[in-house]
Amino acid sequence: MSEEVFEHKPAAYLCGGCGIKDALDMDALETAITGGMMVSNVKQSDAFCSGKGLETIKSDMKSGDVNQAIVAGCSPRVMVQEFNEVGGQVFRANMREQVIWQQPANNEDTQALATDNMRMAITQARKSEPPQAHWDGATSLKLLVVGGGITGLTAAREASKTGAQVVIVEKTDKLGGWAGKWSKFIPENAPYREPEDNPVPALIAEVENDDNITVLFDTIVDRTEGGPGEFSCRLKNGSGTNWDIYGAVVLATGWRPYTSEDQKKFGIGETDGVVTDIEMEEKLSSGDLKDVKNIIFIIPGDSDRMVYSSGVSDKVAIKQALQMTQADPDVMAYIIHEDFRSHGLAEEFYRHAQEKGVIFQRGEVKSISSDRTVTVDDELLGLEIPMSGIDLVVVSTGMVPNSTNIDLEATERGADQLKSDINPVAPIFTVNGTQVDEDLAETAADAEAEETIPEGGPLLNLQYRQGPHVPVLANGFADSHYICFPYETRRSGIYTAGPVRRAMTASEAINDAQGAVLKAIQAMRQANEAKAVHPRAGDLSFPEFGLDICTKCRRCTVECPFGAIDEDPETDYPVVNPTRCRRCGTCMGACPVSTISFKNYNPAQVSDMVAAGTEECPPDKPRILVLACENDAYPAMDMAGINRLEASPYMRVIPVRCLGSVTLLWVKTALEKGYDGIMLLGCKSGDDYQCHFVKGSGIAQERMSKVGDTLRSMMMEEERVQVNEIAIADSERVTQILNNFGKQIEDIGLNPFKGF
Amino acid sequence: MTVPMPTSSRKYDLNFARWVRDNVAGGDKMNMCMQCGTCSGSCPIGTEMEDGPRKLFMMIRAGMKEEVLSSNSVWECTSCYRCVVRCPRGVPVTYLMQGLAALASKEGYAPKVENNYFSRYFWKSVELTGKTDERLVPTAYFFSFGLIEGIKRSLGNLKIAFNMAKAGRMHIGLPHRIKDTKGLKAILAKAAQIEDQKS
Amino acid sequence: MMSKKKKMTYYPGCSSQGSGRHLDESIRAILPDLGVDVVDIDDWNCCGASVGNIGGGPLPNLALTGRNLALAQEQGNQDIVTGCAACYLNTHGGNEKIKADVKKRRDVNDALGEAGLSYDYDLDVHHVMEVIVNDIGMEEVEKQATNKLKGLKVAGWVGCQTVRPFAGTETGGKYATYEDPTFLDEITEACGAEVTDFAPKTNCCGGSVAVMKPEKTLHLMKTILDAAVESGADVVSTPCPLCQTNLEMYQDAINKEFGTNYNMPVVFPSQLIAVAMGKDKEKDAGLQRQTIRSKKLEDMAK
Ligand code: SF4
Ligand code: SF4
Ligand code: SF4
Ligand code: SF4
Ligand code: SF4
Ligand code: SF4
Repeated sequence: MSEEVFEHKPAAYLCGGCGIKDALDMDALETAITGGMMVSNVKQSDAFCSGKGLETIKSDMKSGDVNQAIVAGCSPRVMVQEFNEVGGQVFRANMREQVIWQQPANNEDTQALATDNMRMAITQARKSEPPQAHWDGATSLKLLVVGGGITGLTAAREASKTGAQVVIVEKTDKLGGWAGKWSKFIPENAPYREPEDNPVPALIAEVENDDNITVLFDTIVDRTEGGPGEFSCRLKNGSGTNWDIYGAVVLATGWRPYTSEDQKKFGIGETDGVVTDIEMEEKLSSGDLKDVKNIIFIIPGDSDRMVYSSGVSDKVAIKQALQMTQADPDVMAYIIHEDFRSHGLAEEFYRHAQEKGVIFQRGEVKSISSDRTVTVDDELLGLEIPMSGIDLVVVSTGMVPNSTNIDLEATERGADQLKSDINPVAPIFTVNGTQVDEDLAETAADAEAEETIPEGGPLLNLQYRQGPHVPVLANGFADSHYICFPYETRRSGIYTAGPVRRAMTASEAINDAQGAVLKAIQAMRQANEAKAVHPRAGDLSFPEFGLDICTKCRRCTVECPFGAIDEDPETDYPVVNPTRCRRCGTCMGACPVSTISFKNYNPAQVSDMVAAGTEECPPDKPRILVLACENDAYPAMDMAGINRLEASPYMRVIPVRCLGSVTLLWVKTALEKGYDGIMLLGCKSGDDYQCHFVKGSGIAQERMSKVGDTLRSMMMEEERVQVNEIAIADSERVTQILNNFGKQIEDIGLNPFKGF
Repeated sequence: MTVPMPTSSRKYDLNFARWVRDNVAGGDKMNMCMQCGTCSGSCPIGTEMEDGPRKLFMMIRAGMKEEVLSSNSVWECTSCYRCVVRCPRGVPVTYLMQGLAALASKEGYAPKVENNYFSRYFWKSVELTGKTDERLVPTAYFFSFGLIEGIKRSLGNLKIAFNMAKAGRMHIGLPHRIKDTKGLKAILAKAAQIEDQKS
Repeated sequence: MMSKKKKMTYYPGCSSQGSGRHLDESIRAILPDLGVDVVDIDDWNCCGASVGNIGGGPLPNLALTGRNLALAQEQGNQDIVTGCAACYLNTHGGNEKIKADVKKRRDVNDALGEAGLSYDYDLDVHHVMEVIVNDIGMEEVEKQATNKLKGLKVAGWVGCQTVRPFAGTETGGKYATYEDPTFLDEITEACGAEVTDFAPKTNCCGGSVAVMKPEKTLHLMKTILDAAVESGADVVSTPCPLCQTNLEMYQDAINKEFGTNYNMPVVFPSQLIAVAMGKDKEKDAGLQRQTIRSKKLEDMAK
């Protein structure tokens, strides 16, 4: 908490550029600012983003007369870099995207909207202080890589290149994993046509000769505490255990072979000359295929195979078929598939195989006789075709993610965690430790989750309130924010890479490792400077708890999506694991007594902003409050402006860090201050969530479902408060939703509290 | 690389696809077919074909030599090239259709197919005179079905022939010939000989 | 527009001596005035049409084209122009094959050697439409078309082989696309006639299959006639001799089969140009060779 009292020295910068001054009465705006809004320092320019414009703000900041710049111009989503560098706190009033691009020029309502946007931004500044580093403890910049296969090896090498110290923990007694055994690789280099040499041996040599990298064989991680910059891990091998501190973890535990019942029915291991694609790799490596002239690759169509192969074994089949025809042009290679995926650049690979005479046949293999006559129900011909004279049949398999350690016993608490990971339904509310909404857990998705819980014990044995496992997704793949940040898990500072998070080729695993390492290094470094990791990377603000009025209700601890808040075992008050916190504000939205706040984002501040939006509202005009997630909904609204989609002039829009940070206080304020409707715009929630903060949107919906009672007690219609899920590309949809909402509110009539 | 012509004793012959690839014009591209069906869907005469090009190519890959070479599809093709210009995979469908028809003709498949007769009489006319005589080719072709059928078919064309003759578009008299029929004959004989040596 | 007269070797094709005489006559009538002097390939032979491949086999068929090319080369090495779609397809296609494939080049020359001929593969083959569009240009046609065909409604039916498969390729034409070519309508307009809204521009009439088994292809031609009549056309214009003959001579059979009563004249664009250039209606435009005649067009002709 800051000790010195911060003196607010705001100045308003009215940009007239981008057509703003042609659509708005700038002088009237200035008069309103110096008058009612009580900011005397106002400047106008034709382009504050220009060198000259920025210089004006910079020199004001330097002079010490100004420490908060409120820039009225384009959306806060653009010119970010430019304005962040002026040397003080910057607030933005969106006059361009969501005002002049969506409203008629020189119109009374447009001017009112612009004035209110300015008033809200000035209010925001008034209730804001510059965030300061909350933490300065020594933090580790050493990376822990779990798994010594191609993913782990690449991760270690890449991290070392940035100068980081790395420890690789490998369960077996050698490096290289599965990929180390492959005869050739699926091509990763232009023109993506020929199988490529296996890079693993060279990679192993590189790692072994790297002074920054230590490899621990026959070792597992036995226990993990802490968070980014301060992970405390206990490593265990045959001779004992050993504690060490790491900055971040890359989980690269890979996969194990998957063979379904459907695949076994082809006679793998029984019929002579029927093998899996993995066994085929060994044959190709050892070159024991001289007598094979006719070869069939079977890509079976069972749905599990699709999940666990995801196009990988399809590409493997192409590769192996090509290897066969390359070794001997007389070889006839057939790939019989029910479905076939060679997406992306592998299309070239597929095309090349066709050119080389590999025949792709779509159909279902009905039977394989003991002399390997393969009977195919050819779907495109509608015929059953017996293919005889086949020397070798290769059946495609799949990859089961090692998202748990199958060598360890499953624990009850672990299983519960995995189930809730797979189906992160809306939060389970606890009031004084009791669940209030038990039936929430009993959904169909939940039952499905139950079925796919992976076996085995935890890989890192995390000492987190949510449980010991690194979270998993459906079908047991390790956690990944696959929409935006593929390597990111719900545990800050722990990144998954390679086939542990989805079936992928060895070359894809290399890319994955590179990406995950960059994230891990960023996390270590940000933690080192007390800054948030993605998606608010670099944010210094931090939730502060006013424990004097805390009721120990535990809402914040339970709802934090990242396990950043624990209860103090002695006092039961919330305590924060600071480096785990991603600054989403979900705890703030949860707190019934509004005692959690950020220096630059807090319940009182937004409450005042809400009020500022209706301060000057004439009694006969509607007002609708829009609380929009700044990650998806707000940009979608900006995009609506860019597309010049017309919008109602009665919306007052406040971007929020996450819908999870919205407190009921703001809704109450809005209703009291005469808003006629309130729209909350978040992202897709549920088991296919897209939220950057995992469950903020779901939590908000849950909270708002309780607003109905409040509304009824105020004798108001429930429809006045609504929640919607918006994706970033939904610019048309969001405009439609808001405009329809406006009409609906008009039909219901204005808020009876208006003007009181 | 030359593979012996697949034997017709087996219904499915996995070598047939390779044989087509190496020996039929356009066959090297046949394997690029991704079975999208654009060709068959675009074919003006697809409704008259038993199989259509798309299916025919799949049959080749499945080794169905007998069925492919006796399919009527290769004979119905009008050589409109719509399939060729639309094929997303650059398969020269028309060449393949013609190539397969030539192969079927040569291998003694489909001797009863009308277009086969027509093609043969057409070629005879070319070999003999260097030109095609629009009057002689159809007549000979119609009579190839037998005397009765021939009269029926030619009579069907009689009115047309009469009209054409009236308009001066039906040549009356001896067939046109090129001057150097001997040279042409030698050229064609040599070409046929070179071609035979190849297969 | 061409600055000076162009010389080309003309390949009339077999139909020029029979069903396509009026195509041949009208081409010969208009080309010199439009700036292209043509000399026939001396002793040309048949191109092989679309069944030569089947009847004779690929190489003998290619040798037919080879002989024509060799003769043209011997005669003065001018690029070849032809008015027949099949001649164009075979000769152009064959020429490109010979150019591209060393082995074919050798085989063809081996065969040609039997008659003391050889071909060095440096000629190009063009369709007369392509020459009109690319070399002569619509402006020139429009300028010389002084006898405007006012009020004549024309459905432009390009047919298949004239634009397929080479239209839009560097070597093949670059004069139109194969899905929606516009050149035929441009010619109609240059002649002062009116273009009707006719969709099946590149539909196939059935080609040689129509000659052999009309019962299988009548419906193809009916589609074309339906659309032409519906568009309000007085005549159908098509550059292909087989299309012209098929569509004209099978109308009776179509009427019989489908109970229609079509009597639609089918002419060549070169005939339209000839009439519009004020050429003789019989000697140059060959209008008397239509078995279904267009009084409207004949009345406009000089
Ligand atoms: S981009 Fe923004 S700051 Fe720059 S002129 Fe436009 S509104 Fe002003
Ligand atoms: S809810 Fe969000 S802001 Fe609050 S502690 Fe957790 S991560 Fe941090
Ligand atoms: S800080 Fe707020 S939410 Fe957290 S326990 Fe205390 S009262 Fe509850
Ligand atoms: S949790 Fe959803 S509502 Fe919250 S920031 Fe993320 S995307 Fe937006
Ligand atoms: S259009 Fe081409 S790719 Fe498609 S089915 Fe026909 S030949 Fe195959
Ligand atoms: S060329 Fe033959 S196969 Fe191709 S679309 Fe035309 S008629 Fe059909």
